[in-house]
Amino acid sequence: MVSRDDRGGHRRRVDRVGLLLVAPAVVIVAAFTLYPLGYAVYTSTRISSPLLEGRFVGFENYRNVVTSSYFLDAAGTTAAFVAVTLPVLMALGVAVALLLTEPFFGNTLLRAAMLLPWAIPAAAAGVIWKWVFLDDAGALNASLYSLGVIDGYVPWLTTPTLARMAVVVVFIWTQLPLVSILLLAALRTIQPVLYDAAAVDGASVFRRFLHVTLPGIRPMLVIVGVYEGLVAIATFDLTFSLTGGGPGTSTTLLAYFVWSETFKQLNFGQGAALAVVIALVSLVGIFGLLRALPADALLGEER
Amino acid sequence: MNRRRPLRRAVIYGAAAALALFWFGPFVLVAIGSVIPEANLFTFPPRWFADPPFLGNYRYIFTGEIPQTYQQTGALRSMVSQEARWVPYSIWNSFLVALAVMLIVLVLGSLASYAYARLRFPGRKGTFLFVLLSRLIPTVALAVPYYAIVQGLGLLNTRWALIAVYTVLTLPFATLVLTLYFRSIPIEVDEAARVDGATPLQNLWHITLPLSLPSLVGAGLFTFMLAYSEFLLALLIAGDRLSHTLPVTLGALATNTDVSWGLLMASIMIGSVPTMLLVYPVWRFMVRGLTVGTGP
Repeated sequence: MVSRDDRGGHRRRVDRVGLLLVAPAVVIVAAFTLYPLGYAVYTSTRISSPLLEGRFVGFENYRNVVTSSYFLDAAGTTAAFVAVTLPVLMALGVAVALLLTEPFFGNTLLRAAMLLPWAIPAAAAGVIWKWVFLDDAGALNASLYSLGVIDGYVPWLTTPTLARMAVVVVFIWTQLPLVSILLLAALRTIQPVLYDAAAVDGASVFRRFLHVTLPGIRPMLVIVGVYEGLVAIATFDLTFSLTGGGPGTSTTLLAYFVWSETFKQLNFGQGAALAVVIALVSLVGIFGLLRALPADALLGEER
Repeated sequence: MNRRRPLRRAVIYGAAAALALFWFGPFVLVAIGSVIPEANLFTFPPRWFADPPFLGNYRYIFTGEIPQTYQQTGALRSMVSQEARWVPYSIWNSFLVALAVMLIVLVLGSLASYAYARLRFPGRKGTFLFVLLSRLIPTVALAVPYYAIVQGLGLLNTRWALIAVYTVLTLPFATLVLTLYFRSIPIEVDEAARVDGATPLQNLWHITLPLSLPSLVGAGLFTFMLAYSEFLLALLIAGDRLSHTLPVTLGALATNTDVSWGLLMASIMIGSVPTMLLVYPVWRFMVRGLTVGTGP
């Protein structure tokens, strides 16, 4: 490294003290990432619960987990959840970000308070919306009834399809603020000259969006999209307090499934096997993210 | 010129109104729900505005005085949820944990970020990516091992366990934000000081940190908020009543099928106060802290 940049003079020297400065952060993160992962892999090959004596069983936990209809059910629900939620969330995020670039009365107020749904604990968000969707005393049923749309109450959270839709709506409610704010920041980095040039060339609003706006926010779209995908896969608090995974197992997403398998069924071995499977799936996502990012995007050139 | 087109204006205001209703409507409902007498909710349609505001729920949470409306028996539910009384104490728990995490993360994060932004050393890129990407492993995949480790250390149901775990969960993001911000400060000042014999730590303390206040505040508040809101791990490793954080208490209330909705809504209102106070500063500093250094 040093030989390569002799020309650079003092700017190019190696500061080993840098290792000392990053050591506390790196060591603590490594200790709480690598060790737990190793622990999960170890536990996943054993029968392990507070009640039984541990013993090595090889891949049996994995076989049980992957072939269990409950797991396949939860995995399918999660896949469908992500597939429905993510495109809607990103499209709405772009729309809201564009809306917030327009001047209108109340714009500042909207921006200032917009983080609220994202910032409150997700467990609280679930409760708040449970209140909205409640069968008998819920605000949604009461409003629809007053408007004459329905005659009796609609069981939003106790009908499988409606409960799934409710989870999607609440997830979007909590995540849309962050997505919009990041896309808004990305929109600001597009140089106005590009829009002017496009306007001079007679490009329509739609074509300007397609050829100036979208390319301008593409990196942010990719980053936010992958991040939100991972957030969606890991959704737990929200289903815990909104639906409790039900009715039946209709809103049991993977994270909730792992939790109930491990701490309700007290099956630590299978819980760990599940954790490893989920970590592997996320690793694939992480490498996808890495490939999508330019190599020097975050750290820049070496100084 | 666009402002004179009425159709365009109508669309913009319509969309803004719908968005505001979607985002803030539920909070209004919670506020109303916390002050209507329970009995008015159990008719269909519920009588939301039939009586003057009822503050008994708030009084119960802070003083333990059982509201009169709950004392009647019969067909009406008269359950008072004990968990609601834990709300103030669990806010205190959440606050202490989040504050400690914020301070630790700012110290560790500043040290590491300065090195990543300014110094060349072996392992710079590798460790940076490792720290960042570690956070992309879903928490639930690490939950079981965390539980076992914390149990092994004898720290179950303590704030210390939560502080340690949240530090690890929030450090990567703070390091990213601070590194990007430190890099945006002109390097010349730094180098002049180095030539005059200043050590990296002196540079960090006397030059970089004073110039990075917006980013420090932004990263700090962000960290505070994540630690304040985390639920899954808090549920596992701080399940004991005395170590309950706010989200755990709310979760306990929410899964109690006999819960009184008025009490639950009052609990959420009280629990949201810290968040409401922080939302605006977080927004301001997050936008600034995140946009610096991410431009094309």
